[in-house]
Amino acid sequence: MSATLDKPVVATLVDAAAAPVRRRRRGRHDALGRTGPLKYLAHAGVWAYVVLLAAPLYYLVISAFKQNVDIFQQPFSPFTPLTLDNFAKAFDQAELGVAMLNSVYVTIGAEALTLLLALPAAYGLARSRGTVGRVVERTFALGFLIPGFAALVPTVLLAIAIGLFHTREFLILFLPASALPLTVILLTQAMRAVPPELEESAVLDGAGGLRVLWSIYVPLSIPTLTVVAILNFLSFWNEYFFSLVIIGPDAALRTAQVALPTLSIANSAQYGVLAAGILITLVPAYLVYAVFADKMESAVLAGALKG
Amino acid sequence: MTAIADVPVPTSRPTAPSPRRGRSRRRRELLQLTSTIPALIWFLVFTVGPLVSLFYFSTVNWRGLIAPRTPAGLSNFEQLFTDPIVGLAAWNTFLQLVITLPIVVLGAFMIAYYLTLKPRGHRFIRALMFTPVLLAASALAMVFVGVFAPQGMINGFLEVVGLGDLARPWLADGTTAMWAIIIVTVWCSMSVSAVMLAARLNSIDESIFEAAEIDGAGHWRRMWAIAWPMSREFIGVVTMLQFLWTLFASAAVVLLLTRGGPGNATVTLSFLVYDFAFNQSKVGYSQAVAVVLFVIGVIGILVIRRVFREKN
Repeated sequence: MSATLDKPVVATLVDAAAAPVRRRRRGRHDALGRTGPLKYLAHAGVWAYVVLLAAPLYYLVISAFKQNVDIFQQPFSPFTPLTLDNFAKAFDQAELGVAMLNSVYVTIGAEALTLLLALPAAYGLARSRGTVGRVVERTFALGFLIPGFAALVPTVLLAIAIGLFHTREFLILFLPASALPLTVILLTQAMRAVPPELEESAVLDGAGGLRVLWSIYVPLSIPTLTVVAILNFLSFWNEYFFSLVIIGPDAALRTAQVALPTLSIANSAQYGVLAAGILITLVPAYLVYAVFADKMESAVLAGALKG
Repeated sequence: MTAIADVPVPTSRPTAPSPRRGRSRRRRELLQLTSTIPALIWFLVFTVGPLVSLFYFSTVNWRGLIAPRTPAGLSNFEQLFTDPIVGLAAWNTFLQLVITLPIVVLGAFMIAYYLTLKPRGHRFIRALMFTPVLLAASALAMVFVGVFAPQGMINGFLEVVGLGDLARPWLADGTTAMWAIIIVTVWCSMSVSAVMLAARLNSIDESIFEAAEIDGAGHWRRMWAIAWPMSREFIGVVTMLQFLWTLFASAAVVLLLTRGGPGNATVTLSFLVYDFAFNQSKVGYSQAVAVVLFVIGVIGILVIRRVFREKN
């Protein structure tokens, strides 16, 4: 990754960048003048963006707690009578309770399966030094380049072929495949950093492969493990298209992301209920964010590796 | 991606093996790699398999998922190039990419640089920018259902500031619907990209900027002459992600906000893949669109890689 940018490259870049700058300084004396007008432009520009970013979110949150009449009459005022009716209605109309449980089931199932597959694979790859290992690693790396959406229809056919169409279980089996490349590669890199001496002494004590993986490699890769787990959690919880076409619209089986849009059809003129529904489905993602706030940035960065 | 290539190979094992030793090493390596087999099988069955069969399905005549299929050769592709809806979808996809990519990448980079200066309120901005990262495609679309609705946020705002005449049903109006879709894409991806770029810029050694400051470089110069070239490769990665997201994932936004309408005003190529297959009983034809989309994706990635390659 770019994080491994070589020092010499950095030095040349800085030299190249600094050279014309040095010449420039002689022409200008006023230190403030350099950044002055631009500074205000920058503040104004960024805060304009912040307002545009915040406006729909603000509107979302206040609408969720408002009565429908007030949403229309005083769309931006937070000082209207507050109500929790919208949340009750959202739960009721879209059967969000069941849908949330389905999402939890699919997300946890897929997450467990991903780690179950990725941990041994990363362990094997991290310890192998030969060409075969490198080929396997490259194979996973190629997976980054495959946009899953293109294979939407063939994936549905696969579900039909193995008799799991319209089940949550197929999604549990399928989602790990999309997460495996990144998970395996990141875990392999983390496990490479484990000193071989640790393993050698464990083997001398008679520990088998599984035991070495479980009691040496896994504990030492916990930071990376957390990052990939967060990343996978978010992408599994937020999965929409595959949930839609594979599990289908059955209210007993559908996930939260599939149930949510039904509120918009049922309440074409009532944004409050829909807004409440959005907030409800956001809760798990926000909880993860709140708990792992410091890890989230690395998780997003790791996600960028996907390119 | 590139990280894989330059991982140092530890040399704690004995070097220069005899041929016999080499054979046993190879066997030991294969033994070690048996633990990768389940993951490889998964990858093969659920990722590679569907992708390969995509190319076959694009050459059949096929009306429904459980209907029989007959070979059609390349006729699906021939039809593709004369189909006005596909042409419109290609134009919309092109428009979406050409408008979204520069705005998002340049805008996100400038915001990210601004954030690294830690100005007042930067923590708040960071936290706010994280929200679109957490939004699922369906939740994102639903947020904007409220924004663009006839009695929604924008029209409410126009009413408040006395521009009520400009109010219109943004998503149901053929002249504005595609712009609404593009705005949703930009709104969401700008902050996602900015979060990633800010993390990257944070890792640049601060003394480099300080040195440039002593040399008299203002922020504008530092931003484009130092920060940009130093994170060039990473900006390429962000651009690629953005490209793929716009190309593929925005299908959900179109599906949930306009279903391609009004008329066909907001169809995009990725939306057509879904729509042809699941709503119009043209499964084989939809797979031809998917193949085209896939090829565009690969070409786009290669081009972006080339543009952003480190120049030494």
